Amino acid sequence: MAAIEMNHIVKKYGDGFAAVNDVTIDVADGEFIILVGPSGCGKSTLLRMIVGLEDITSGDMVIGGERVNDKAPRDRDLAMVFQNYALYPHLTVYENIAFPLRLSKQFNGKEIDEKVRNASSTLELDEHLERKPANLSGGQRQRVAMGRAIVRDAKAFLFDEPLSNLDAKLRGQMRTEISRLQKKLGITTVYVTHDQTEAMTLGDRVAVLRRGIMEQLATPRELYENPVNLFVAGFIGSPPMNFLPATLEGDMVELPFGKVRIPADKAERAHGRGLLIAGVRPEHFEDASVMDADKVAEGSTFRATVDVTEWLGDQQYAYIPFEAPPEVQEQLTQLERDLDGESLRTQLVVSLDSASWIRDGEEIELYINAAKMHLFDPSTGENLTAAASGDEGDASRRSSTTRGEGDRVATDGATTSSPAGAHRGPGGATSAT
Amino acid sequence: MKRNSGAGIWIGFAAILVWCLLPVVWILSLSFKPVAETSAGSPQFLPETWTIQNYKDILADGDFTRALLNSFGISLIATLLSVIFATLAAYAIARLDFKGKRLVLSIALAIAMFPVVALVGPLFDLWRTVHLFNTWPGLIIPYMSFTLPLAIWTLSAFFREIPWELEQAAQVDGASPWQAFRKVIVPLAAPGVFTAAILTFFFAWNEFVLAISLTSTTASRTVPAQLSYFVGPDPFNPPFSLLATASVVVTIPVIIIVLLFQRKIVAGLTSGAVKG
Repeated sequence: MAAIEMNHIVKKYGDGFAAVNDVTIDVADGEFIILVGPSGCGKSTLLRMIVGLEDITSGDMVIGGERVNDKAPRDRDLAMVFQNYALYPHLTVYENIAFPLRLSKQFNGKEIDEKVRNASSTLELDEHLERKPANLSGGQRQRVAMGRAIVRDAKAFLFDEPLSNLDAKLRGQMRTEISRLQKKLGITTVYVTHDQTEAMTLGDRVAVLRRGIMEQLATPRELYENPVNLFVAGFIGSPPMNFLPATLEGDMVELPFGKVRIPADKAERAHGRGLLIAGVRPEHFEDASVMDADKVAEGSTFRATVDVTEWLGDQQYAYIPFEAPPEVQEQLTQLERDLDGESLRTQLVVSLDSASWIRDGEEIELYINAAKMHLFDPSTGENLTAAASGDEGDASRRSSTTRGEGDRVATDGATTSSPAGAHRGPGGATSAT
Repeated sequence: MKRNSGAGIWIGFAAILVWCLLPVVWILSLSFKPVAETSAGSPQFLPETWTIQNYKDILADGDFTRALLNSFGISLIATLLSVIFATLAAYAIARLDFKGKRLVLSIALAIAMFPVVALVGPLFDLWRTVHLFNTWPGLIIPYMSFTLPLAIWTLSAFFREIPWELEQAAQVDGASPWQAFRKVIVPLAAPGVFTAAILTFFFAWNEFVLAISLTSTTASRTVPAQLSYFVGPDPFNPPFSLLATASVVVTIPVIIIVLLFQRKIVAGLTSGAVKG
């Protein structure tokens, strides 16, 4: 086990294209770090540089206190699970798992047998040990690949989109499995994914990358509640955050649907910037008719016509189209492109209580929790209100303190001495997650 | 209608079998006939009197057994070297990006297209000058050169099909590049290696033009060349039965090798390595 420090890592290809550009991440010993981003953001390249399959153009890669830039993959003592598993088809499951042990020449036959059987029972592969990979299902192959990684007490685990080839149900199961395994073994882990569910559920901290540049490194909660810019805000969350054109007057924000009041400190920080982009998550809207009257009175409400509704049982989504001015529109289109998406129209997605009886085409009175609103600069994409993280959202953030012996510190609001200074505001009073 | 086409298929099979195997059976039958019977111009298909005297004679013939030894030695060494070189070259071609890769491949192809006969004269002169004439290496080198291109092309196709991740996985698991090659890539390319080996061996085993031109004594003469010296005492009556027997004897190793290797030549060995 070891910490992994990446200092100003750059990967430039022959044509000058920087796949990874000045990324600095310190992965503490035993920490579970996720690299996430849309395709082509350099996350896999970064992982392959950690393991040594890709040369580092500049910067330092330090594993366990030792600079490994010029070391061959086999000298780095890391275990990796590949996206397509990369099992040795001519070897049985047993021999596949034993392969790294046999190569190391440190163990005799009995020790190898013991270790392989340990790993196989952890991953419930006992009855498949004598089979060849060709005769296994996708999930079983995935487990064999993990077995090959866990069998040899490597300094760290590296996962390269390990679940992307599995079907949805299996993916959910394996996700829990990986989380359980990592907690049990308490081993430093770097995990690459483009799936934000995996990113949010697995990671102690998540690094969001875009076009080779790290946009934000923070705990999942911090990412969700205090994204530093439009990109992170749009990338994290499903359905994504709504972006609306907004102008600020005093502490009143004018949205296409009406004016809402935001907390004074937020308004102050975003003051004097002209046209802004307001970001509001779907769940911060509600059908005013199903809420307590006094709660509605505290916040702002506006009326809008619902285009389409989607009822999911536990909640429902309503879609409300709106027009955006060209400056905002341009920025949103660019953002959409960065996120691998394609938006056909600007629309508001709101998540409503499933008790709401709203139907397609009806007008609705919507409550908006303006305290949770973010304001972004349309030209730079910077989150102008992010620094206002001293309030409730930040306080209930899950602590991301370094886990010494691999136990996740599950207490909330404890001394949040997060690594890498992801947190801005002081950790305030506790409220359960 | 269906029954008709079924019968048609069987008739076709039979016709092809007769077409292919009749000469072989004829040679077999000849090899069991006494010399007197063949020189008498006997027209019957099967021997009137069965004898294994031909086999005894041919195996007692020192020149023939020596030629057999030469054939085995030269073919096996040429095959071994050719496969080793081809494996390494093909691996480099499939995996590495180096300047002149296309050139190497096109030269290899050009060599394969070059007619052997055109080289006999120059080689004869050259070999005499460098004292390779009538030696094993004198035959091994050209055999190797002529079979390498095909072996390289066959093997590089096989290597390309092996997912690169396997090698990377092996390196991450602690293998040196050589270990990754030997323990992962070569076993997976085995069908290709055996295919190349068989093709090379057949070429070397059957080759006649170079064998007759670049040798002068039984020190290095191979069986195909040696057979042409089987004239017998009477130039108008070649020893057909002995020739047939020799043919049978040289065919047996080929059959054995094919039977041994055909199990190894199984497609789809890489299935299950990666998703798919």
